[in-house]
Amino acid sequence: MDILTNIINLFGLETKLFIAQIVNFAILLYILKKFLYKPIAQTLKERQAKIKQGLQDAENAKQALKTADIQKIEILRNARKDADKMIEITKQSVQSIRQQVMDDSKKQAKEIIESAKKNAEAEYEAASKKIGVMSVDLSKSIVSKILSELFTEEDKNAVLVRAVEKLESSKYGKATN
Amino acid sequence: MTLAPGILFSIGSFHITNTLVTTLIVDAIIIALVLLFRASLALYPNGIQNFLEMLYEYFYDATKEVSDKVEIIYPWVTTFFLFIVISNLLGQFPGFETIRFFAAGSGEEGIPLFRTATSDLNVTLAFAVISVFMCHYYSIKYTGVRGYIGRFISFKMFPIFMFVGLLEFIGEFTKVISLSCRLFGNLFAGETVMGTVSSMFAFGLPLPFMCLELLVAVIQAIVFAMLTMAFMSMMMQKAH
Repeated sequence: MDILTNIINLFGLETKLFIAQIVNFAILLYILKKFLYKPIAQTLKERQAKIKQGLQDAENAKQALKTADIQKIEILRNARKDADKMIEITKQSVQSIRQQVMDDSKKQAKEIIESAKKNAEAEYEAASKKIGVMSVDLSKSIVSKILSELFTEEDKNAVLVRAVEKLESSKYGKATN
Repeated sequence: MTLAPGILFSIGSFHITNTLVTTLIVDAIIIALVLLFRASLALYPNGIQNFLEMLYEYFYDATKEVSDKVEIIYPWVTTFFLFIVISNLLGQFPGFETIRFFAAGSGEEGIPLFRTATSDLNVTLAFAVISVFMCHYYSIKYTGVRGYIGRFISFKMFPIFMFVGLLEFIGEFTKVISLSCRLFGNLFAGETVMGTVSSMFAFGLPLPFMCLELLVAVIQAIVFAMLTMAFMSMMMQKAH
């Protein structure tokens, strides 16, 4: 017993100090549990959830990108198909318009030629008539000049009347009437 | 250097020792760390939060490897480690024990005002008792009274398991002695060696010893924490 007492004294063991250390540790444990371990656990949990969410979002974005790529390829393929179709339609319509324009031009040219022909014929007729009248007038004046020198007034009139009658019965006379 | 802590003064019959003062300083440092942590707490950690999270995760993961009762065990283990490592490292500060306090009966040289808390058997014994007591408390809680008693008293294959139970019973006392004396012995011996070497050679020679003591300070804290973890996880499992 003395040995034990000696050991206790040698090491300075005291019940009160021993209990004080136990109480001190209990308080420290309580403080750390409440203000350190719990917040750290909470923060780690939140961070883990956020990382998980981030990974999930990244995976979703990857999937969406893949889908968008497929859609893009599909849209491009359709667009190319549509463009080819449109080019074909445009070619056909250009061909048909060209044909139409050519037909119209031919028709128009034919009409112009016809109208020009008609106009030329009318011009020819009018000129023929005018020449006829002029030749009758010229003949009249020539004949009257000759007759005035050779015949009397009465003969002159008779010859003139006859000449006129002949002229009128001739081709030119009919034309002037 | 004496084995017993130096008594600075007394409040009634309660002695205020230099190790008790250091204990309070260690408490203050830990509380300051907690306050700093709380002030800088963020989802994206920096500075002190990084260090404390690393410490938490280290002990949490280590506990997870040996027991499924992680939430119960790790606070004890981490608290033991934090207190012991800060206390041990505080004692390695140059000049820590050179500040003298002149109390009645302390002689002309006086006594050190500060002394490493873990170089006081009162502290290490208190920690060892807490550790072993909590092991038994959780053993009763998670294995039941029957399971707990069955660990020490068993009539299976009489008298072999009876003898094994007896060894287990004695082992519980040796746990307290080994936990407390290992920590106390290492720290006290380290301080004595440092004191002796420093008194012989002021410069140069103490340096390797200081490095060694730094290593011992951290290793002993880890050893105490890990043993507590192992004892707790063993006691929470049913005896075969």
